[in-house]
Amino acid sequence: MNSSKLIKQIYSYLGFRLVEKTDETDAAILKCLDELQEIAHFRYKYKFFNSPPAFLLKEPYLSYLGASKGVILSVMTLGGEVDARIKFLERTHAAKAIVFDACASAYLEFLSDDYEKTLGELSYRFCPGYGGSDISDIKYIFEILKPEKIGVTLSETNYMLPSKSMAGVIAVGGKAQKTCKNCIVAAHCVYKKGGAKCYDSEK
Amino acid sequence: MLRLREIVLVFDGGMGSELEKLGFDGVPEELNITHPEVIKSIHRSYSCADCIMTNTFGLNKIKYKGKYSIKELALKAVENARAAGKKVIFDIGPTGAMIEPLGTLTFDEAYEAFAEVVDYTKDLVDGYIAETFSDLYEIKACILAIKEHSDKPVFATMTFDSTGRTLTGSTPEIVANTLEGLGVDALGVNCSAGPKELEWVVNAFLACTSVPVMVKPNRGLPVLKDGKTEYVLGIDEFDYYINKFIKSGVSIVGGCCGTNPEFIERISKYSGRKVKRRRVAKQTVVNSATKAVVIDGVKICGERLNPTGKKKLKEALLAENYDFLIDEAVAQQEAGADILDLNVGLPQLDEKAVMVKAVKKIQEYVNLPLQIDSSDAQAIGRAARYYNGIPLINSVNGDSEVMDKIFPVAKKYGAVVLGLTMDKGGVPKTAKERLEIAKRIINRAESYGIPKHKIMIDTLVLTASAEQELVKETVEALRLVKKLGVKTALGVSNVSFGLPNRGLLNKTFLTMAMTCGLNMPIMNPMDGEMTDAVKAFAVLSGEDKNSENYIDIYKDFTGTVSALKPAQTEHAAAANLYDCIKKGIKKQAAELCERELETREPMTVVNDILIKALEEVGREYDSGKLFLPQLVSSAEAAKCAFDVVGTRLPKGAAKKAKIALATVKGDVHDIGKNIVKVVLQSYGYEVIDLGKDVDPEAVVEACKTHRPQAVGLSALMTTTVKSMEQTVSALKTAGIQSKIFVGGAVLNPEIAKEIGADYYTRDALELVKTLDKII
Repeated sequence: MNSSKLIKQIYSYLGFRLVEKTDETDAAILKCLDELQEIAHFRYKYKFFNSPPAFLLKEPYLSYLGASKGVILSVMTLGGEVDARIKFLERTHAAKAIVFDACASAYLEFLSDDYEKTLGELSYRFCPGYGGSDISDIKYIFEILKPEKIGVTLSETNYMLPSKSMAGVIAVGGKAQKTCKNCIVAAHCVYKKGGAKCYDSEK
Repeated sequence: MLRLREIVLVFDGGMGSELEKLGFDGVPEELNITHPEVIKSIHRSYSCADCIMTNTFGLNKIKYKGKYSIKELALKAVENARAAGKKVIFDIGPTGAMIEPLGTLTFDEAYEAFAEVVDYTKDLVDGYIAETFSDLYEIKACILAIKEHSDKPVFATMTFDSTGRTLTGSTPEIVANTLEGLGVDALGVNCSAGPKELEWVVNAFLACTSVPVMVKPNRGLPVLKDGKTEYVLGIDEFDYYINKFIKSGVSIVGGCCGTNPEFIERISKYSGRKVKRRRVAKQTVVNSATKAVVIDGVKICGERLNPTGKKKLKEALLAENYDFLIDEAVAQQEAGADILDLNVGLPQLDEKAVMVKAVKKIQEYVNLPLQIDSSDAQAIGRAARYYNGIPLINSVNGDSEVMDKIFPVAKKYGAVVLGLTMDKGGVPKTAKERLEIAKRIINRAESYGIPKHKIMIDTLVLTASAEQELVKETVEALRLVKKLGVKTALGVSNVSFGLPNRGLLNKTFLTMAMTCGLNMPIMNPMDGEMTDAVKAFAVLSGEDKNSENYIDIYKDFTGTVSALKPAQTEHAAAANLYDCIKKGIKKQAAELCERELETREPMTVVNDILIKALEEVGREYDSGKLFLPQLVSSAEAAKCAFDVVGTRLPKGAAKKAKIALATVKGDVHDIGKNIVKVVLQSYGYEVIDLGKDVDPEAVVEACKTHRPQAVGLSALMTTTVKSMEQTVSALKTAGIQSKIFVGGAVLNPEIAKEIGADYYTRDALELVKTLDKII
């Protein structure tokens, strides 16, 4: 595994700002990643569309899709055992739980990015909630994909369960780039205040 | 009559893929009414099979929200399936929602949804199949609903991924032990993948259950063609594997996604063949949803969740403080327990209700199988019902009345039962008399259909101080009982009661008992010397092959202290308490705090060391020099020190104020709230943790009961800010005077003001600072 990008992202999720990275933290992260590899069950479900499903025919999706050749809807997860482990750690090693939680989020992104490389020339994954889109649009993705088969369900308040799951829209052959514009936390973003961007670690 | 153990039965194949072929999409169940002829014709095309499944996979009130009633769709679906002229099996699929604690659906809600369709159809069908389930807890709810509402055969199959586990982490062995325990007529696997990929799951089932095994694979793994998924496995290969399964002992075959009438026509030739006889080793197994424990060798049952002689646990149970129980449970798991005993019996408590809550809470955090310990058959029944797995029941004894109450419960839920060798006359003195009671228990269990491997025997430990001569009778009874072919248990630490240096006696007695065949000491797993003895015994008895486990644990052992304490800590040792809190070294905090308390007053330790260290950590966090895990490490270490200080002060004197915390209704992400909790506790606040997904009314009720000075509400996403607003409004309407704090990823001061909260705080530390100012 090319873990340098992954570790960079984990540090970013942990909110490292002025902190010097230490061997101790590196070791804690690597330990969590080892454990994650053992208990995470990465599953990915997707469907390809030549033209966007109806719920995408509005902004900001239209801008994101641009002149793309098609669209993929996808849902991905690390499975319920990761949630259970975080819960357990919260009781026994609260600090480790935080590191493990950040590792799991980054690991899911990492595996998803890797998987999506096999699906062709794609733009980045655009998730409902990004760019001012309505987070509850997630329900349309669930109606179409029925990701229960990979063990992901949606609560009435549009929370995905297990929590280490994502649902996204991907433009095939799209040219969109990530931006802070319309981000829901832009006004209070700690990265922005520090002159950085949350997706810097992906570069 | 379906002779499942004798002759092979063939089920039909894919319905969804056939409908798709005909150009139908939308809700398949509605086609039972809108296009009955289409459904009938698909059923008829499968008439080569012995059993036809109704087109009702998604028909339950949680999943189906369409325009027809569940009843009319169910009845019509049965009528359509009858068109094939074969046995009709009513198909029940999962609800599509996750049961708590993974999701928000309750076990009872799932049960009711399944029971409803069974009620409508129980007199019209030849059996039920619960299929394509991925959560053991949900299929348990479904099986109970079917069995409690009809007397028809029950087939139960789950889906497995390429790692050989269900989506919620159950292995075939766990699934088989649970479903067999619940009394299904056949169990196995459907959907998931093609027959080739499922081969080893099928073999695992065949090796561990004597219940008929069922396999309904997909038509291989789908491939992507022109943007569409297609199944391409040929009939010959499908047939090859089905034939192989039958030769291995599978009783029921059929097809799932992608299979069509041609596939079923081909495998219908196996219908009526004699089922291959299998020999399955009978093992005593208890399991949670993700962990099975085979009782052989020596397995440790943690005894610390029993209020007898434990004041703090008693207080926690009376206050329904489940946090305390969870902490005890996770600590025992960390210390190496294999099974956890759970006893909540206190005269002042509603044992049935508290037992259920305790089971649900503990299984949320701990994956060890539970031993349900009660003398109340109803409490045992409730606990066994809501337990996600196969529990051990503690206990019955040789008294007929007791056995007649407990055995039906054990049989219904498939539990293993611990039998105590005593009866109305008390504990017999001699080993032979105890052996006779053990035989009586085993025989009575068999009359209830509970096989011997589901029984364990406890030959009962008496105290050496009062009845010294009977200690050896207990051990001798153990030896005799083993010859009956059952596994054994003992509450070992009872032996030392009333004598000094109890640890020495306990350890010695444990070794004596293990030598005579003790399988499950019920003991304190945090007692390093006792667990050391178990590990050493595993080497000397040959159970720990090549001493692998022993070497792994003790390879760094150099001194005379129990090697369970790690030789090296992850951090360099701290020189003093201040340093320890700053570095966040939890393991040293209590010891260093004790040392400080030798020369200083408790409140001086709090004010001059703990608070100052935390303030320093806080400053560094605020200025970005420390990051969140380091802040929390310090908080955890400080909390350990506060616990020590607390023992030296009058009750409650060390606590600053009471704060209630909740993640609001609809929100199940609670890591943020839990961080706040640790940090608040480290600063000496008493936290009432109401949990996640909390109803506004529950927050109001808790405020009325506990009267906290402040309430902290957390929400992670925009979708639950509305729920936060409702909670704030409910608190104000109820006249609750507590200050309301809100926080979470999408909150900010403006939103906080808009929804009527008193304060918004950015993070845990800011919350503490604000509280320190206003309280």
